[in-house]
Amino acid sequence: MKAVKAAAKAVKSPHAETVRKAVAAPMLEIPEPKLTWMNKSRQWGVRVKPGKKGLTLGSLNVGIYGEIPMDWPDQTRNPRGAIGRKGMPPVGYMLRSKSQVWADCAADLYEEAIQRRWAPATDVPWDTVKPLPDDLERAVCQVNTELSQYANVEIEVISAWQHQMVYGYHEVKQYLATAGFDAARHYEVFRKRALMNGGGLGLEGPGQVNRMILESRGGWTEAVVYLVLVRGLFAQTILRYLEHYASNEAESFIYRNVLQDKARLLTYGLDHLKFAIAHNEDQKQIIATLLAIGDGLFIRDFNDPVLREALAIVFGGSIEGARGAGMDVYHDMMRAYISTHLEYCQWLDVPRRIPEQLEQYAPQD
Amino acid sequence: MSEAEKLGPDYELDLGWMDQTGPWDTRAEEGRNGLTLADIQVGEYGRVPDESDNQTGRPRGSAPRSGSYRIGNYAVRTKSEIWLDNASFLYEEALQRQWSSATDVPWHTIEPLPDDIEQAQCQMATFLTEVEFVAGDVPARWVSQTTPDFFEARQLLTAQVMDESRHMDVFRKRAMANGGGLMAATGATSGFVGSIDLSRDFTEMSARLHISGEGAVLTIFRMGELMAYNDAEKAMYRLCAQDEARHVAYGVMHMRYMAETAPERHEEINCYFDEAEAGILSGSANPAGQAPILSEPLAILLGGGIAKFDEGFKKLVALRRRQIQEYKKRVVSAGFGARFENGRSRINEILEQAAAA
Repeated sequence: MKAVKAAAKAVKSPHAETVRKAVAAPMLEIPEPKLTWMNKSRQWGVRVKPGKKGLTLGSLNVGIYGEIPMDWPDQTRNPRGAIGRKGMPPVGYMLRSKSQVWADCAADLYEEAIQRRWAPATDVPWDTVKPLPDDLERAVCQVNTELSQYANVEIEVISAWQHQMVYGYHEVKQYLATAGFDAARHYEVFRKRALMNGGGLGLEGPGQVNRMILESRGGWTEAVVYLVLVRGLFAQTILRYLEHYASNEAESFIYRNVLQDKARLLTYGLDHLKFAIAHNEDQKQIIATLLAIGDGLFIRDFNDPVLREALAIVFGGSIEGARGAGMDVYHDMMRAYISTHLEYCQWLDVPRRIPEQLEQYAPQD
Repeated sequence: MSEAEKLGPDYELDLGWMDQTGPWDTRAEEGRNGLTLADIQVGEYGRVPDESDNQTGRPRGSAPRSGSYRIGNYAVRTKSEIWLDNASFLYEEALQRQWSSATDVPWHTIEPLPDDIEQAQCQMATFLTEVEFVAGDVPARWVSQTTPDFFEARQLLTAQVMDESRHMDVFRKRAMANGGGLMAATGATSGFVGSIDLSRDFTEMSARLHISGEGAVLTIFRMGELMAYNDAEKAMYRLCAQDEARHVAYGVMHMRYMAETAPERHEEINCYFDEAEAGILSGSANPAGQAPILSEPLAILLGGGIAKFDEGFKKLVALRRRQIQEYKKRVVSAGFGARFENGRSRINEILEQAAAA
């Protein structure tokens, strides 16, 4: 709203006034307009009206503008539906097939992300954070340090792939712009929490899963498997539990809002994987292989005691609490993660076997 | 047996990590504008290294872990290559001033326009849809290559990617909202040598994108009321102008930092400005440039129709002058004003060309 209010104040621009007066300027040699660009449209007469949610991106997909081909060989920035210019050197987009990027929900998620924007500086009720016992503060700071690092990986992965996608699938590029911006906000909000209550940042994370996500260079779909189906879902599960065990309204707000943002990325990711599987015969098996390889690295990160203990302290309220109820909650959280992960794999029809080291968390049936 | 399985009901904890932290007892305090990025630049956490050796992606100020895997190989590890002093401020402003093209533009105020005006508006909207996201694609690439030690600058770039995404979509929306449609693309930002896309260095990219390209577009957006025929179009241009002003500010402030801290690169940066000036009107990325596919619709919009093309063209020439004056001010503000005094810049010649159409 601040942008809209500021824009409304600028009713007349002083800059524009100087141009208005130019009409009285001395005579110029004015070229005869050629107008060769006129009447050049693949579809004219389009009149999309705003609906209940305003004039949304998805509502523009009418007539030829809604034709989204399976392949988009044009490597210029020709907007979908416009008349392209011949002979333009390619920008060099790597992802040019719909199956490599698409999710039907991208346009809706884009608009939702914009509507649900929030600002850590002003929307988090920071004044509700009160001094915590030292062990709890250390645990909260450690968890926030690692979550901030998770967000860093998200920023790097999304921004590394987004610019390699062709313009024909602009809805996805646009949604990912919101996802990258969300991740930047997460990076910031976790850092803010760690630095504002007598604590500080903790120990950096072990990094095997970070590296695995960043190194999924085969394609965006492969990156999505790790970013969403493994790390994303794990982070989401942590956030859900953190919200429940938050020490104050500020933390509760942070975890709840980050969770909401991450839910969009999860929705996009699952929708995209489903689409990719439906249009690429081998994709399902590729995902299964990636998950099997990923298990090894995930288990190595998982065996690191730091995050586990920090979470258990948060859930148990203290070191003492962590030794009993806190760790029980942690194991419950892991069961929730594995169970949801398996459900999603099943929904995607991806064959999945939980490795022995994580079997204790697998659903009984 | 896994680590977790070894843990019994009364769990043993290691807790060695509790003493491995960054500087402790940190209490960043909320200011008038909330708890901003600037407010958390406290103590060591506010110290930005001139050279970053962070290869693991750890948050700046956190305790390093000796066994952590290197993930970095970041191309941008030297502060001066990407830094600007007010990144935190601009980032927070970007967060506060997000807007929605779906609901913040009063689309219902659009009424049918004469065909020549609608075509000119749609051609301009097609062009802006085409070029706006070059400023999303390219910063995104640099975000992924920048060490998180310079996260303040990186945050601002992610905000820019978001802004550009909205610009790409608001102009597409305009083209389809009033009985028109998309028209012809210009190919303006294709893979030409010397284009924004092909910049090999962040500062080179910033000179082309922020100072020259977006600077020229910002002047047009600020003049939006002259080519707007209803409140929706006015709002669209004003809101885009706010965003664009931040992006241009990135470039100016980054160049200022370079002017102050990297004297060995001044000549190189002047070369980027030479190149920017040479293309400011002849290049096809400036909506007020000389390519007829852009200058003609703009003149029609500024004049009020084909019948008033001459009047519109005079305004277009005044607008080009304005663009060049603003460009000059930015370069002076960035600390490279000497080029206008020592005869290096050709901007005055270009200004004369602009006046002579």
